[in-house]
Amino acid sequence: MSSKIARYYPLIPVYAAYLILFLIGRNVTGMWQLMAMLVFYCAIGQAFNIFLGMTGYVDFGYVAFMGIGTYGMALSISHLYQIEGLGMWVILIGAVLAILMSGALSVAVGAVALRLRGAYFAIATIGVNEGFRFLIEGAKIWGGSEGIIFSGQFTHIFGRKTASLISTTWADIFVILVACLGAFVTLRFMLGKIGYALMALREDEDAAKVMGINVTKYKIIAFITSASLVGLVAAFAWGLKLTYLFPDEIFDISYTVECIIIVLLGGAGTLLGPVAGALIYGLSKYWLTIILPGFQLLIFAPIIIVIVVAFPEGVVGVLKRRVRGTVLEKFIV
Amino acid sequence: MKEYCLKSAIIFMAVFGLLLTTNALAVDKVVLGHPACLSGKFAKAGSQASWGIKACVKWINEVNGGVKIGGKKVPLVYKPYDCESKKEMVTSLIGRLATIEKVHGIIAAYSSGLTLTGAPVAEKYGIPYLSQGGASNRIFQQGFQYAVQVLSPATLYQAGAVDMLRKADPSAKRMALAFEDSEFARMVLRGAEKHAKELGFKIVFNRTYPKHVNDLTPLLSDLKAAKPEIILGGGHFPDGQLFARQMSDLDINVKALSMIVAVTLPAFREALGAKTEGIVGPAQWEFGVKYSPAAAKKVGVPWFGPTNEEFVKLAKEFSGGKTPDYHAAEAGAAPLVFVKAVELANSVEPDKIRAAFNKMDLMTFFGEFKINPDTGLQTRHSMVVVQWQGGKKVIVWPEEAATGKLYYPMPTFAEKAKGKVAVPR
Repeated sequence: MSSKIARYYPLIPVYAAYLILFLIGRNVTGMWQLMAMLVFYCAIGQAFNIFLGMTGYVDFGYVAFMGIGTYGMALSISHLYQIEGLGMWVILIGAVLAILMSGALSVAVGAVALRLRGAYFAIATIGVNEGFRFLIEGAKIWGGSEGIIFSGQFTHIFGRKTASLISTTWADIFVILVACLGAFVTLRFMLGKIGYALMALREDEDAAKVMGINVTKYKIIAFITSASLVGLVAAFAWGLKLTYLFPDEIFDISYTVECIIIVLLGGAGTLLGPVAGALIYGLSKYWLTIILPGFQLLIFAPIIIVIVVAFPEGVVGVLKRRVRGTVLEKFIV
Repeated sequence: MKEYCLKSAIIFMAVFGLLLTTNALAVDKVVLGHPACLSGKFAKAGSQASWGIKACVKWINEVNGGVKIGGKKVPLVYKPYDCESKKEMVTSLIGRLATIEKVHGIIAAYSSGLTLTGAPVAEKYGIPYLSQGGASNRIFQQGFQYAVQVLSPATLYQAGAVDMLRKADPSAKRMALAFEDSEFARMVLRGAEKHAKELGFKIVFNRTYPKHVNDLTPLLSDLKAAKPEIILGGGHFPDGQLFARQMSDLDINVKALSMIVAVTLPAFREALGAKTEGIVGPAQWEFGVKYSPAAAKKVGVPWFGPTNEEFVKLAKEFSGGKTPDYHAAEAGAAPLVFVKAVELANSVEPDKIRAAFNKMDLMTFFGEFKINPDTGLQTRHSMVVVQWQGGKKVIVWPEEAATGKLYYPMPTFAEKAKGKVAVPR
């Protein structure tokens, strides 16, 4: 029994980090929105890590799942706001829609793109993201290029005070919960058959195939899980928090690049890595903009390069090696 | 003795209470925060905005002597952070500005999207929120209580051009609308269509084209077949330039062509040369526009802020000598109207400032300012219309701000190729 529990020890530092962030946000003046930004980066890093970290595939079109997740929340609120008494259910419906829509898109993309490998996979996924955005804009689906602005409808459902509380506080708390869920799912994968299969295919896909592992199945499982999680993160962090969307903003490829930086910085394939990566990335960005507004990127870029050179396996990757054989070993995975 | 003690206690409480109140009211500075887009995709517009704001803050502190509040003048402090044109940074920086910096007003980041991003956070803390680069009307249909628009809304972008063309040619009927498929351009299209119909124009062509378009020939061929007299269109610079070039290639000649964004940029002339002669375009502001204390007096509203010349001179101090464009001007107008609202409210309390905005009707170097009290939408600022005449941009509308007369009808592309310029006699 105790060994079963011990398997979940690696969740402790991750959840402790989220708890500390939450407490700082709640108790230190002016820190809530910073905490929200950091948790957002942690959550997208955690979700991306399930695919990139565990399979070694780089999806450059990852932001498409965030975009479609945001649409899930937006469609729920903008279409159901007139139904009296729906209240919080509208958010739950939005969250379910976000999971289903991003999951469905990942099935469609995965069925085609996951047949490809390496650079071909990366290029195909960029195409999917851009193609999907153009489809929405060109075919004028869901408001086309004009997007959806649903702040007014959101206020109509909840009233001014509650709507403000949800979008500036509860949306961020939901993101923390999704980040926690992301960490749990990652660990479950790592501890189970899926994790071993994914590890095998990451190291050598052909060898894994020869050994009888259905690599396509496991890649698709990781892909759908990762996409659904990030869709849910965006539904809360972009949909519920900002209460509007414009296609060119939510399909912005720079978010994919941020996901890659966070995961590689922290350590791909590790549980704590995305959290460490997100904190380093988010905090340096934030403090540099406070200290040197306008010049922060000049300093930020070399910092990232130095970290990547100093920690080629990511910060947690190196840490993992250092704590091997010590009491900390079971906490850092 | 007992009565004496009671009286003393009452006097002490009253004096102490007064002191407390006075202390609470004492304001030693007014702080204006700004999540500025100094890097990222809006860096160009954001840098211009930053120069414009710094110029006007300097004017307020050095020429106006600060902000008059509670019978004395206190300095205006401008607190910018770089939001990198990113949503997450906008919300976190507004959170910081509201709580740690304790700003009294926030100038929104550039673009309608980022203005919308910051609005819920500004609302949460109840801080007046000035939109200086968010032209979308839809921002002001969401019920935000503290949002105030400084610039003309998107639906009014082509209104001035339509008014001007109606006045220049009461017999013109056939109008074509061809705009880029973007949130902003579609909003402009909608406003232009409504206004043109109200003024008796018949819309003979109404289409949008995709962003990043490389060839407009099919659309322009259809447009030519519709035989319009006037064309309104555009979106951004690349498509605007392509639009005019391919109109010339297909020899589509109309009495007037008015395009948003591209026409106002010097690069438009550099790219197309004489083909630009006679083309008109709306702008939020243009150097040389004749808004002045005298113009304000003429329309019966008070004047506040630097003159156009003073503004440009001050902005150049921060831009390293670069000429400020309309992004700088619309952002520069934000601290001016904010200071006026604080002075009118004689307080830094958000609700009083917001109420003061409702009463304001004034003119600055950027133009007039008056908002819809319920929504915060700008209602009085007028777009200026510029026309390329002999290689120079001339402001031709509105009449009180114009530096020259409209050349109408526009020369044909064949005439322009032979050297005909659109300079009125």
